Amino acid sequence: MGKKKGQEEMVGFGLIIVLVAVILLVFLWFSFSNSKKDVVQSYEGESFIQAALQHSSECQDSRGNFMDVEDLISACYKKTRCSDEKDTCQILNSSLTAILKDSWRVQNDSPIKGYEMNISFNEEEVFYAKEGNSSVDSKGAIQGLPTGKNSQVVFNVYY
Amino acid sequence: MVKKTKRSQMKIQQTAFMLIAMTLLFVLAGVFFLGFKLSGLKKQALSLEENNALLLVSKLANSPEFSCENSFGTKRTNCVDEDKVMALKNNGGYSKFWGSSNIEIRKVGGSERECTAGSYPDCDVIKVSNTQQRGTYVGNFVALCRKANVKGYIEDKCEVAKLLVSYEVKNG
Repeated sequence: MGKKKGQEEMVGFGLIIVLVAVILLVFLWFSFSNSKKDVVQSYEGESFIQAALQHSSECQDSRGNFMDVEDLISACYKKTRCSDEKDTCQILNSSLTAILKDSWRVQNDSPIKGYEMNISFNEEEVFYAKEGNSSVDSKGAIQGLPTGKNSQVVFNVYY
Repeated sequence: MVKKTKRSQMKIQQTAFMLIAMTLLFVLAGVFFLGFKLSGLKKQALSLEENNALLLVSKLANSPEFSCENSFGTKRTNCVDEDKVMALKNNGGYSKFWGSSNIEIRKVGGSERECTAGSYPDCDVIKVSNTQQRGTYVGNFVALCRKANVKGYIEDKCEVAKLLVSYEVKNG
């Protein structure tokens, strides 16, 4: 009788230890998961799109002004050419690819794992670029283009 | 009678030891708790410094001292007037205006060449406020625009740049 009571107490004690250990583990997991810092801030994608759209390209319009990326997007859609007969779509492609590569370094030891940019003008895709791998952690931004219907720039950074 | 006294003394001793043990346990628990709280405070202080720098960097580009306003056609957001910033850099009155933070603007894909009155505009790094303090930087993308002389004509020229603000990481 006394032996059985002792066994019951041992089981109860074991259960309490397991319960306390589980609570401690949950607490530790929460405190560690909260301390994980974001590699990319939420405003960075948005500000990157705004800055990239204002970048002056080497393409001059008929009045001799250097076209910015936003103007190049609509020029590429309309298939117009630069004053020196260069293709606006090619200039758009080379300008944006260079800006993306210099701004977001995707390397094996880098915290940035990849990025993706998609620009559509009047529902037609005028630029698409993807570098590196897509991962679960990402920050993205969408910016509408006022000069076109259903026109937008979608940008995602994976880290 | 003697046996009873001895037993009572033993009981008193037991109680005393128990009280000492309990006190030690509470003291240890208190020390552990205080240590945990203090390390949390240090982390909080660092996080506040970082948040301040993040707030500063996210609003700086659109502040009157930096923004393009209407100098480049329509009003632009996240646009920094490079000529204005160079004038600001050379104005000693603004050296402590943004507190103890270092403020830098680096052209994306550019070199390490610092902008001075002599090297401007053929340079890539503008140190707006340099407090000589070492720290960690947080950044935001901006369009860095200036009026450029192209074959005798004045043209607007904008480049993608990163606006960086430092915050101090205190040790100890």
